[in-house]
Amino acid sequence: MLYIATVASRGPAALPGRRCVRGAWGRLGAMGDESVPYLLGEGTTKTYQIPISHLDYKFIEKCTDVKHLEKILRVLRSGEEGCYPELTLACEKRIECLDPRSRALRKEKPAATASDFTAEEWEAIHSELMSWLTEMNEDYKKSQLLRTDTLNERQDNLPPIRCSSSCLPTSQNKKLQNKQRSKKSIPRDYSEWDKFNVEKECSKIDEDVEESNSKARFSSRTSLPMIEKKIDTTGMTKREKIFIATREKEKGNEAFATGDYVEAVTYYTRSISVIPIAAVYNNKALAEIKLQDWDSALQDCEKVLDMEPGNIKALMRRATVHSHLQNYQAAIEDLNNVLSVEPENSRAKKNLLEIEEKLKGLKPISEPQGKGKKILIEEIEDSESGEGRGEDTEECERHGGDKTSAAPAAARAAAGEPAMGNAHRKSHGKGKAHDRDTRKHKDGAESGAKKGATEKKAEKLLSDHEGEVNGYLRSDEKSESAEAEEIKAHGEGSRSAAGDSSTSLPPTAAKLKSEGNELFKSGQFGEAVLKYSEAIEYVTGLGEQNPDDLSILYSNRAACYLKEGNCSDCIQDCNRALELQPFSLKPLLRRAMANESMERYRQAYIDYKTVLQIDSSIQAANDSANRITKTLIDQDGPSWREKLPPIPVVPVAAQIHRWDGGAPTSEKKPNTVDISREEPLQMNREEAMEEFKRLKNEGNELVKTGEYEEAANKYSECMKLNTEEYSVYTNRALCYLKLYKYEEAKRDCDHVLQIEDSNIKAFYRRALAYKGLQNYEASVDDFNKVLQIDPNVLEAQKELEEVTQLLHLDTSAGDDNQQMQGKKITIQEVVTDGQEEGTPEDAETARVAAEEAVAKAEARPCPERLRVSAPSNAYDFGQMVNAVNATKDKAACADLLTLTEPKRLPVLLSNKLEGEILLVFIQSLEHYVAGKDPGLAYQHLFYLSKAERFKVVVALLSKNEKEEVQQLFDVLSESQSDQYSLEDLESLKKVYEL
Amino acid sequence: MSAAGLERPQVVSHVQQALSYTVFDCKWVPRSARLLCLGSAARGTGLVQLYELHGARLELLREIEKPKPIKCGTFGATSLQQRYLATGDFDGNLNIWNLEAPEIPVYSVKGHKEIINSIDGVGGLGIGEGAPEIVTGSRDGTVKVWDPRQNDSPVANMEPVQGESKRDCWTVAFGNAYNQEERVVCAGYDNGDIKLFDLKTMSLRWETNIKNGVCSVEFDRKDINMNKLVATSLEGKFHVFDMRTQHPTKGFASVSEKAQKSTIWQVRHLPQNRDIFMTSGGSGSLHLWKYEYPAQRSKKDSEGSEMGVAGSLSLLQNVTLSTQPISCLDWSPDKKGLCVCGAFDQTVRVLIVTKLNKI
Repeated sequence: MLYIATVASRGPAALPGRRCVRGAWGRLGAMGDESVPYLLGEGTTKTYQIPISHLDYKFIEKCTDVKHLEKILRVLRSGEEGCYPELTLACEKRIECLDPRSRALRKEKPAATASDFTAEEWEAIHSELMSWLTEMNEDYKKSQLLRTDTLNERQDNLPPIRCSSSCLPTSQNKKLQNKQRSKKSIPRDYSEWDKFNVEKECSKIDEDVEESNSKARFSSRTSLPMIEKKIDTTGMTKREKIFIATREKEKGNEAFATGDYVEAVTYYTRSISVIPIAAVYNNKALAEIKLQDWDSALQDCEKVLDMEPGNIKALMRRATVHSHLQNYQAAIEDLNNVLSVEPENSRAKKNLLEIEEKLKGLKPISEPQGKGKKILIEEIEDSESGEGRGEDTEECERHGGDKTSAAPAAARAAAGEPAMGNAHRKSHGKGKAHDRDTRKHKDGAESGAKKGATEKKAEKLLSDHEGEVNGYLRSDEKSESAEAEEIKAHGEGSRSAAGDSSTSLPPTAAKLKSEGNELFKSGQFGEAVLKYSEAIEYVTGLGEQNPDDLSILYSNRAACYLKEGNCSDCIQDCNRALELQPFSLKPLLRRAMANESMERYRQAYIDYKTVLQIDSSIQAANDSANRITKTLIDQDGPSWREKLPPIPVVPVAAQIHRWDGGAPTSEKKPNTVDISREEPLQMNREEAMEEFKRLKNEGNELVKTGEYEEAANKYSECMKLNTEEYSVYTNRALCYLKLYKYEEAKRDCDHVLQIEDSNIKAFYRRALAYKGLQNYEASVDDFNKVLQIDPNVLEAQKELEEVTQLLHLDTSAGDDNQQMQGKKITIQEVVTDGQEEGTPEDAETARVAAEEAVAKAEARPCPERLRVSAPSNAYDFGQMVNAVNATKDKAACADLLTLTEPKRLPVLLSNKLEGEILLVFIQSLEHYVAGKDPGLAYQHLFYLSKAERFKVVVALLSKNEKEEVQQLFDVLSESQSDQYSLEDLESLKKVYEL
Repeated sequence: MSAAGLERPQVVSHVQQALSYTVFDCKWVPRSARLLCLGSAARGTGLVQLYELHGARLELLREIEKPKPIKCGTFGATSLQQRYLATGDFDGNLNIWNLEAPEIPVYSVKGHKEIINSIDGVGGLGIGEGAPEIVTGSRDGTVKVWDPRQNDSPVANMEPVQGESKRDCWTVAFGNAYNQEERVVCAGYDNGDIKLFDLKTMSLRWETNIKNGVCSVEFDRKDINMNKLVATSLEGKFHVFDMRTQHPTKGFASVSEKAQKSTIWQVRHLPQNRDIFMTSGGSGSLHLWKYEYPAQRSKKDSEGSEMGVAGSLSLLQNVTLSTQPISCLDWSPDKKGLCVCGAFDQTVRVLIVTKLNKI
């Protein structure tokens, strides 16, 4: 009632009172709507003419127009319609909720007082100030005493006085002195300032300096910010040094925060030059990590650890550096140290897991001799993310051709190609082309390659750290750096060995092109475009066209356009390049990227798919295709595929062609290809290949879902089509191992080893097979061979130990063996999933098997693929679900769900069901299970709804999450299964509150 | 108050000290808990008062009276050991004082014909590479750069063409002093002009007009490759320029914000964090701001030249301390969050801004 008393007397006589009462009701949460409406809705406020009815809780609560609310607030605050503190507050809250930055919310506020803080805070503020004060006052007195002659000393170090500096050369000095004097008599006005020709003056100064040959201070014109790395600290007290060091650190931190890492490193260095502080070294190390200056970062981390052994941050950072330097063991050690201090450090855990996976992933790769090299190089190619491949391969082939063909071809091969180095690298890697006389090429290229690899890894890890950035752009950058390396390698090579190198491009064009390449490398894309355009003009002007070179020029120009964001020109150039040189990878990729950035996802998807058909190992294309798939699903719903233009099938000839430098084309350039040109024989072969590819793919899929029996069948069918592919044999061996058919597994491995006597996988699997057959001696033998080939295979080491033990304890073998099989299988799974494509024999097939890319892409987002085994109890299950949930690894979750009996779900979940877990389940069911086995998905959904807490969790699902569930149901209703009917589905939908 | 509200920095008025004269400028003495108040006594003389902060009160240590009212002062060009104060007065004199022996200035020059409105120093206190220099801006329209080692004449002088109307220069600031050669001076005028003079090349590097008189300009830091510039204006708006990228025609990108309806007298960046600054207003209010950088600080325009991208501003806190304008403001270089301001209600206030670490 006090409230009513505050009502102002202004305004329509009856209204304020009524409104106020209403306001009071609203505040109390009572009814009252019906009783008053007839009184409202008449009249408007004086300012802004807002209907009086808007000055109401209900209206304000519903209103979303911030501008209007701000007006209401102003009216309310002015008090011209009466004073309603509660309503004003409600209005403020509403605005704050809609737009927290609204200016209307800014109120005049008095300074904070003790009442705004808790007693402890207030105390803390004061005691902090007091301690500072005492410190300062003491310091002041001390400095008074210390006041000495250091001042003069310091003054000597000061730079000269501007313009009349004594250290300037006399001639110049005079000039400047004159200037000075004239300045005094005739003041230098603004217009004069404007007219002052800086360049001229500076060059004048430069000349003067040269003439007089003395050291002038003001003459050095540094265009780049040159910051002194050291600070002169003569005559400073310790406190002053701390003060300065802290400030430099702050400057470094600020620069770091804005992403100027170079600047940050400079300021940290300055800070360290005054007083070395561990924290500053630590920050500097982080900035250097961002700059990928691993060596310096390592040094700095070590300095920190010298000063403060056990510094967690430094350890974490050193681990990062080690892992980038591929020094995985050291990285693991550091992370373990971190975990020993902070066992709960989730980042350390995650990194550790990643690195361990990586370590494992590296193992089989570092096979001996040519083999190992080959794999390494293959990897790098992947890491180049495809960009920069098409032409390289062409070059490679051409170069190979040189050996046999005559001089003109040789000339062509040596054409001023940026990809030259790469070509050599590749031929070397394949071990097919033996060009001894170009050793330098190889070296250059290889070092480039290694560098490329490290950079790639670096990028990858960094992006891991920084979360999901645009991986696509990154990969692009990556390839650029790789390209740059190539160019360098080529430069060296051509100088040393290319006496015979002339180019198929006319020298002028070649020169223009290489200039263009240089500009591109240095990031001057605009200028590079000009150079390429000139080159193109020149070449086309000559009439006698060389489609290859012209295509490359177009493709390069397209790259520049892409960099500049000029997508339409990029697409045009790509089209031209593809007309001239159908099925070149680079233009296809670039066109895809351009299309993607123009949000023409369908075209982009088609291009990526085409690229993948030509070469399935291109990571960037894989990633992008996946990403676009998601976008298209979002856009078009589950039936997105129907809206796609048909994906051009790249004939096998094209894939083989790829190595020949040419390629067939896609449907997008209708006038360039006609498939009928291909010989029927090739068509047959193509079909066979397709079939083979399909079967193998299906086999791989089945392995992933754990259906080994069927997988083995598929592989067997594969073998009928192509007996040469030993990867199929090793894969089938794996299936047999899982099915405990050791004899068959052994046979497959034997077969492979007959063809290739150093296949590490075959050895490993045969060893496991022997172990299963309890032929421990043979098993030990095979494990030893594995370790001979690559001593770093941890699994093999482990297994070897176990088997040796078994050999000794032959009596208890039976029991142990049983256990071990379980273990063995989990390990196997990791090996297969992670690496199927990375190994040499598979890599070859992978090229042909374009579709495999999809499978790989599915597996790839989770490099640290979780090991999943059938859960035995709720605890096991909970652990696995948590792991899956932490990484959002849907593939692993799908595995888990396939392994789990739906009926047991409620028991296994017990009361642990949460929104996040449900979501992960739903997503993995949708993406991985529903397609293959809708029945199983339905069962899971059904039993999920029986789990404890299900009702609560479903009730709390957000709108987006509900949509996910809806999508899953859509998928299920589209695909049929005998396990459920549409009615079942409908009723289940209701349970899920859809 | 909401939880979010508590997390924001709070401004606490720690000490209020009433003065018997009009205060124009107040400054912390570097490396100490002392502060100076500069102003004009009722009888038309200049006053310098040295206070020391003792707990919750200010103790007057020394009072120095000079013939002319003192408008502005700086420690920017002195060494950390000497801590000589440079002042500009109503008569256009630039003086440098040793506060231990303030009877005779250590340096004195009649620099301008009229009042020196603003003064700034660089190269001292370990802030800024290169020679110690002082810049003064005056009602006579000139901006002059002085080296305390050179008597009588400025080392650089910037003034309008003879005959052209002289604009009152209200504010000056040094910047870009990240190495021995580079240095710029920024000056703001009563007609809204902002001019950026490059002292290395002796040229006018950039100019713009913000329509209303420029009350205060300051770089976020003087001793780095120039990063940001804040310019406040007469009608309550202020502009933040991103000084990293200069477009050939468009100059520097900027964002503007209206703090209040009255003049913004001063802007001062937190010495410990360049992205936080405080503005003081004609209505006796203080606003604490934070500049947030955009994701990309520069982009290419259609012709391929780099142009800057301005970030955004968020208001961290605002308080109203007085009904009179707050004319001067200074952060303690030594204690983060400690701040002094002087208002025309003849009061200096020592403020504590809390939770600056958490931003």
